[in-house]
Amino acid sequence: MTTADSRDGRRLTARGAKTRAKIVAAATELMYIQGVGATTLDDVLAASGVSKSQLYHHFDGKDALVRAVVDHVGERIMEREREALGHVSTIRGLRRWRDALVQNNALRHGAYGCALGSLASEVSDHDALARQALSQLFTEWQGLLAGVLRRLQDGGALPPEASIDQLATGLMAALQGGYMLAQTARDVTPMATSIDMALAYIESLSDR
Amino acid sequence: MRTHFAEVLARESACLAGVTDGAKLAGWRRRVVEELMTPLSPYVLAMRQTGDVPDRADFLDRWRELIAETVDRLAQSGTTGDTRFSSGQTRRADVDAQKTAVLILAALHGGSTLSQIAEDPWPLNAALDLALAPFAATEDNCPARAGTSSPIGNMNP
Repeated sequence: MTTADSRDGRRLTARGAKTRAKIVAAATELMYIQGVGATTLDDVLAASGVSKSQLYHHFDGKDALVRAVVDHVGERIMEREREALGHVSTIRGLRRWRDALVQNNALRHGAYGCALGSLASEVSDHDALARQALSQLFTEWQGLLAGVLRRLQDGGALPPEASIDQLATGLMAALQGGYMLAQTARDVTPMATSIDMALAYIESLSDR
Repeated sequence: MRTHFAEVLARESACLAGVTDGAKLAGWRRRVVEELMTPLSPYVLAMRQTGDVPDRADFLDRWRELIAETVDRLAQSGTTGDTRFSSGQTRRADVDAQKTAVLILAALHGGSTLSQIAEDPWPLNAALDLALAPFAATEDNCPARAGTSSPIGNMNP
């Protein structure tokens, strides 16, 4: 692995860890706003205020930095989603989850999309390690949604024959696709519509 | 960038115009999935979140409109629905063509991203199964049968 510090367990001094965190934070922000492809290491140097030698001490190139950003963003989003979805067991609860995501995205007119989804659409054909890390993160996120749907099924709100994993994946795609449509339209409406349609279908399964 | 958009719109316009029933919709869906799973196909390039935003927005609006027309046509003709969960009554009358088209386009977009990172068409097919459920254009979403040929033939021009 190439991100020396975090991956092979080489210990960082407190100061080294702080520098590394500063670089990752600046890179995360830049890649979120202007995209991975458009973000250069020089941009990251300028935004983080660290020296070139410090940056190369922690990361041997852009790929390594992108992987660190994937880990960082993934950790943040999974923490948020575990909290938001971990105990949801009703359609109403699922709608509250939807409301929070739409509301948050509306604050920026949907301009930047989902931090994890944007990374996924940009890095998947560039770097196998980043792609695998993203694949694991999305599997975990879909697992949280599947957990909710399974609890709905256990409570009788979904029929026993409903395919939970397939629905969870379909819902995730509706969410991610919705983010992407909103990003292009600079309007959160298509995202809200897409999730609402998916949720309405899931809800309709209960009264068939 | 413009050329991918134009290429996709030309193909979609031709193919969607011929979609008059559930089986043909399933044929359309199979072809789009194949395109989206082909590296560097015009569809894959057109889906990228790069390039000029107004051009992309225009492209997506037009594609959504083509899908909405098709959804509307199918709903009007009373295309029979999904029988797997059916209890007899159809839900065709409830279909909102514009909103359904937004979901289908989102499913293509989000599903292809998930499929690319998983290197597997399964997520894209799961997304389309959900989005196309009112029209029974579902596939047996099973990797082993992904290559099954379409009974209605190849819809490529």
